[in-house]
Amino acid sequence: MKRLLSLVLVGLLCVSILGTVGIAAEKKGKLTIWAWDPNFNIPVMAEAKARYQKLNPKVEIEIVEMAKADVEQRLNTVLASGAREGLPDIVLIEDYNAQKYLQAYPGAFVDLTKAINFKEFAAYKTELMTLNRKIYGVPFDSGVSALFYRRDILAEAGYKPEDLYNITWDQLIEIGKKVKAKTGKALLGFDPADGGLIRIMMQSTGEWYFDEQGNPKIVNNEAIREAFKIYKKLMDSGIIKQTSGWNEWVASFNNGDSAAVITGCWIIGSIKAEKSQSGLWGVAPTPRLNLKNSVNYSNLGGSSWYITARSRNRQVAEDFMKTTFAADRDFYQKILVGQGALGSYLPAQDGPAFTEPDPFFGGQKVFADLAAWMREIPPVNYGLFTYEADSALMAVMPDYIAGRIDLDTALQRAAVQLENQIAF
Amino acid sequence: MTEKPIKMPNYGRPRWTLSRYHRYGWFFISFAVLVLALFMLYPIISSLIMSTYSSRGMIQRFVGLGNYQRLLKDRVFLQALKNTLIFFIVQVPIMLLLALLIATLLNNKDIKFRGLFRTGIFLPAVTSLVTYSTLFKMMFSLEGLVNKFLLNIKLISTPIPWLVDPFWAKITVMIAMTWRWTGYNMIFYLSGLQNIPDELYEAAKIDGANAYQQFARITVPLLKPIILFTAITSTIGTLQLFDEPTNFASGGVTAATIGPGNSLLTIAVYIYNLCFKYMPNFGYAATIAYVIVIIVAILSFVQFKLAGERR
Amino acid sequence: MKVKSYFFRCVQYVFLVTAFVLAVFPFYWMVVGTTNSAVDIIKGKITFGDQLIPNLKKLFADYDVGRIFWNSCKVSILTLIGQLLISSMAAYGFEFFASKARERVYRAVLLTMMVPFAALMIPLFRLIVRFHLLDTHTGLILTSLASVFLIFFFRQSYKSFPKEIIQAARVDGAGEFRIFWSIVAPAMKATYAAAAIYSFMTSWNNYMWPLIVLQSNNQKTMQLFVSSLASAYFPEYGVVMNAILISTLPMIVIFFSLQNYFVRGITGSVKQ
Repeated sequence: MKRLLSLVLVGLLCVSILGTVGIAAEKKGKLTIWAWDPNFNIPVMAEAKARYQKLNPKVEIEIVEMAKADVEQRLNTVLASGAREGLPDIVLIEDYNAQKYLQAYPGAFVDLTKAINFKEFAAYKTELMTLNRKIYGVPFDSGVSALFYRRDILAEAGYKPEDLYNITWDQLIEIGKKVKAKTGKALLGFDPADGGLIRIMMQSTGEWYFDEQGNPKIVNNEAIREAFKIYKKLMDSGIIKQTSGWNEWVASFNNGDSAAVITGCWIIGSIKAEKSQSGLWGVAPTPRLNLKNSVNYSNLGGSSWYITARSRNRQVAEDFMKTTFAADRDFYQKILVGQGALGSYLPAQDGPAFTEPDPFFGGQKVFADLAAWMREIPPVNYGLFTYEADSALMAVMPDYIAGRIDLDTALQRAAVQLENQIAF
Repeated sequence: MTEKPIKMPNYGRPRWTLSRYHRYGWFFISFAVLVLALFMLYPIISSLIMSTYSSRGMIQRFVGLGNYQRLLKDRVFLQALKNTLIFFIVQVPIMLLLALLIATLLNNKDIKFRGLFRTGIFLPAVTSLVTYSTLFKMMFSLEGLVNKFLLNIKLISTPIPWLVDPFWAKITVMIAMTWRWTGYNMIFYLSGLQNIPDELYEAAKIDGANAYQQFARITVPLLKPIILFTAITSTIGTLQLFDEPTNFASGGVTAATIGPGNSLLTIAVYIYNLCFKYMPNFGYAATIAYVIVIIVAILSFVQFKLAGERR
Repeated sequence: MKVKSYFFRCVQYVFLVTAFVLAVFPFYWMVVGTTNSAVDIIKGKITFGDQLIPNLKKLFADYDVGRIFWNSCKVSILTLIGQLLISSMAAYGFEFFASKARERVYRAVLLTMMVPFAALMIPLFRLIVRFHLLDTHTGLILTSLASVFLIFFFRQSYKSFPKEIIQAARVDGAGEFRIFWSIVAPAMKATYAAAAIYSFMTSWNNYMWPLIVLQSNNQKTMQLFVSSLASAYFPEYGVVMNAILISTLPMIVIFFSLQNYFVRGITGSVKQ
């Protein structure tokens, strides 16, 4: 009986893939989902759940919320133990880690190449979840980066919004110096221990810590060299407000101590949290590096959903993702307004929420701009060892910034450490 | 099995035999031994075997002692080792000395509000890791309470970069650890002191010994077993130091270093990273775990020797 | 002489008061934090605000705090009972039924304290799965039933228990379990109380292992809850502070009510 039922299900699935669905099969079963941010991807998933359950009332969905490090720890423990239980049906994975999971645990995630029309998603997102021409995830939020700035402070220093378009980091530093001189405010809250900006700079050139074969490319990586120089310039220029950790960094612009912030678009929620600054903010594209292949579009962070191969309700999980994240345009409007979640599903991006002017940003159509920039992000294969590389580079950064070692020594040291770290 | 009278005192019961003695002996410890064998011994052996493999997630390769060789070349490991030893050498003695000092003061019956002091100073020990790291991270931020206070009383003129600078980051973690564990160790000393008869101090006073002499000649020698105990538990705790570094070093948004320039990276954190943050290499991680075991064993041995020889 | 000793006493008080204030201040700040908004907390406000009710409302509206709190209580109390029973029995066996073989076992048991937990996590997890205990409180409790530290602690305390009493009981014809259960254990109330506090404290505050064993929302414990709450991209600190306070309160209450036993219990164990 069970076998018959699953045969029928598989049959139905084939039919639906061919696009000639006759009867809608009633979906049943329970889905467990792991995600991590109670103010971001959790409510987004809750919205998807509500929408899906309206159509499929018999599907039970449990969203389990935990810290991001905890999701990773559990996922690794369960996958490594080879246990058949203990995994969720759907799990959120940070984009930088995607290849690591896909390659370290072959067969652990469902190949969705045929199930989902990936042409409808931003190209750079599908690239990072592709392994051997198969695509394994459902792209979720974009971390398209931008220069978020305070209109009032920059105006006081004599800058118009246009002055911030199409600029390089060096030009930005010059702007920062003038801002500091005229207003006394720092340009950026900046954490020299955080390698996020290096990744923004690198991706703007289409480069990463590794070459196409996946070997480390550190010492002769122009993007990294430039990025290091800019870190030092930022520290030496006196235009930054040094911070440590998330809270201080957020406080630096919430308090109005700094005039701008350059990071992924997921920061919008935190910027808007300070309601007294409504109308004072604006958004411009990311500065680019002084390199030929660098563009004014990049990315920081972002994550995607993956279905585990051992899921007992794989078909339901696929159907759930397909009807929500890969089809529901209205859903994307809702989460954009509610959580500021900028999905990478392109057909949703001419919806009303994207095209509406945002009074907090002085009437700018922020999300329309960000969506347009998102399409221009150079695709990059993040490879297996993003965090190892980040750790190796940031370990030498303090010595480099303090001038104790020069650039070549610093990068050589980092390269040696990285080689050792990724040895197998 | 023949008579072994030394080990089996004849408690005077006629039916009492050696085999009964052993039967009861084994029975009483059986539950604990069973649980420990299953949930301690088995994992220990299993991870020892694991340490002869190098792995990338599910993909494994037998390397024999290769992981141990790799250790010696691994700069990150060496840095973690160095950091851990710094924490051990600086923080443990300061904390134990402080705890001993407070315990001595609180043992003095002339001091008022002893109960209140004792309770208050012990209180940090009941907080959980999550609680105390959340609180401390906020207090030690650049514009947090601590800097505000120090600026207000004019002790410093510019804010101290607590969690930003590699040096200060270590100091911050040491302060936090001292806050959390001093009271805990103090309770042990206080308990030990209550077993020292007051007459000893009275006699010393009559002989003209001052407070320091009393401390050095009576308190410390008589508390030696407890000092040894706290020293060894603190050694184990510090060498497995994990909670504080990971929670204090939320390096910005996406950082993978632990503290600025990896200044807070300890061996236990490195093990964790090798398992869960980096490409998972459980075999190599297990190898490093056994290095901790060896170091703890050596340090405990040294402490035993030191305590023994001063007698 | 008089002046000097007066001065000395003052120094002692200053020292103690400083230590006291430093130790207690974060608790004060935590309580203050429950009444303030996230922005005020980050700014370092140290006076009471008026956000307590909104914070609490949000906390209880968004999360099933009662359920989570109950989970923590259940796990901690059951672990406590098991640990106390098994560890005190084992220590009893090691101390009053000493033999060469058992002494060797005891040493081996103590040595396991040196192995960091991270090294054991994966094999331990495999066991849990094999026994079908994943995502159950039973799995969590079972793995922590025997505490090495408590075995050591109980044994130290038994050392000062007069062996003649046991001997006398045997002469009177009491069985071994009755001796343990109704003569030795009741006489060591303070030791048990101290051990109970220790045990409750460790399992209530335990984080890493529950995180891996417990998987679904309705099994979650307080620590897991607070940690996920505090690690949001933009945490609601006012709400977090309330959750933290709720998660710390039981420990504070238990310690306050049992602290005299606690000190006495430890005193008993450190007697040589």
